[in-house]
Amino acid sequence: MKTRVVLSITAIALGLLIAAVPQNTTRPYKVNPEQMLTEIQSEQQFISPEEVADMIVQKLPTYQLIDVRNTNDFEQFSLPGAINIPLESILNEEFQEILNQDTKTNILYSNGNLDANEAWMLLRQLGYSNNYVLQGGLNYWYEAIMNPASPGKSVSNEELAKYNFRKAASRSFGSDTSAVDNNFIPVNNTANPAPAKTESKKKKKVSGGCS
Amino acid sequence: MGPLAPYEIISESTNFLLAFIIGIGFGFVLEQAGFSSSRKLAGVFYGYDTVVVKVFFTGAITALIGLLFFSLFGWIDLDLVYVNETFLWSSIVGGVIMGFGFIIGGYCPGTSFCGASIGKIDGMVFIIGLFIGIFIFNEGYPLWEGLYKAEYLGDPKISTWFGLSDGFFALLVIIMAVAMFWIGEWAEKKFPREEY
Repeated sequence: MKTRVVLSITAIALGLLIAAVPQNTTRPYKVNPEQMLTEIQSEQQFISPEEVADMIVQKLPTYQLIDVRNTNDFEQFSLPGAINIPLESILNEEFQEILNQDTKTNILYSNGNLDANEAWMLLRQLGYSNNYVLQGGLNYWYEAIMNPASPGKSVSNEELAKYNFRKAASRSFGSDTSAVDNNFIPVNNTANPAPAKTESKKKKKVSGGCS
Repeated sequence: MGPLAPYEIISESTNFLLAFIIGIGFGFVLEQAGFSSSRKLAGVFYGYDTVVVKVFFTGAITALIGLLFFSLFGWIDLDLVYVNETFLWSSIVGGVIMGFGFIIGGYCPGTSFCGASIGKIDGMVFIIGLFIGIFIFNEGYPLWEGLYKAEYLGDPKISTWFGLSDGFFALLVIIMAVAMFWIGEWAEKKFPREEY
């Protein structure tokens, strides 16, 4: 009986302590330039087109695609379910509710990486944390998902699996008439449309649970 | 510093290895605590045995206190710790189904494997039922896809909801857990059952 009393008192004492101290401050609200540089260099803001294609096909409600190109381009072609927030109006009051929340994951995209990355950096400076960038933008999307090139015969199983996934995703978008039309022609206005794949440090999805 | 896997301090394979070891430890503790007996689990609902509540609450408040102190010392970044996302309706419906399964079958998924591994036939039957459930869910997926994905809330915290600090909310949970222990012990004396 005595151990129980001791354990109960210890637990409550620790609880009192943790309630009394201020909440942890290891992560400041706004990022400083050094952190920003590290984040840019580690390219952890990127989400691969495969991941995005998978989210669209599965119709996951957990993300929001945001097109940061101008309205004209958006009306000509956009990814399924995307909304349009042109880069120049990204600071408008009306969009802050969408950009600064932690329910849905926002995925920004433009033609290449450039505009979406600029938007992401701005939002990151504001301290918004739930925004990501579609790697390579629509150009790379078109190349990788809509029109995947055959990897040839002497490739690793991994490469082949990736190609098969892209093929399947491409078919799935092709059959969805409203989603993709042929209006989109890749534009070469960025220097680096298809960056090498990087390992991102986003939250790892682990499944699990008790019992 | 932490969490270890998202920061790539340990590799994915090491992560799996650790998960494997922790999983074995978890199963061992479940077995040792007597969770492989469906009577013990059902006992919670009748009040004659509240070990299950006590073990799970001990686990919960240990992890709670540990994580908050780790975060306070800067050892772990709680923003990177994966929290199951909340889909409100599937949580409610799933919770009800799980509750019925628990009280009817006397097991939850983990403990049924515990029971089966020491040769309990009811545990094995429970596992068969579990796979039938998985089969029905998958084959009928188009029927409940809408419900499954409805009311996505992200990963909200009750503390944020009520505008409390995480620490203060933790204190409330701890007080609740301690109270629960004593009530549990009282219930065991009040509704005793010989030989189960």
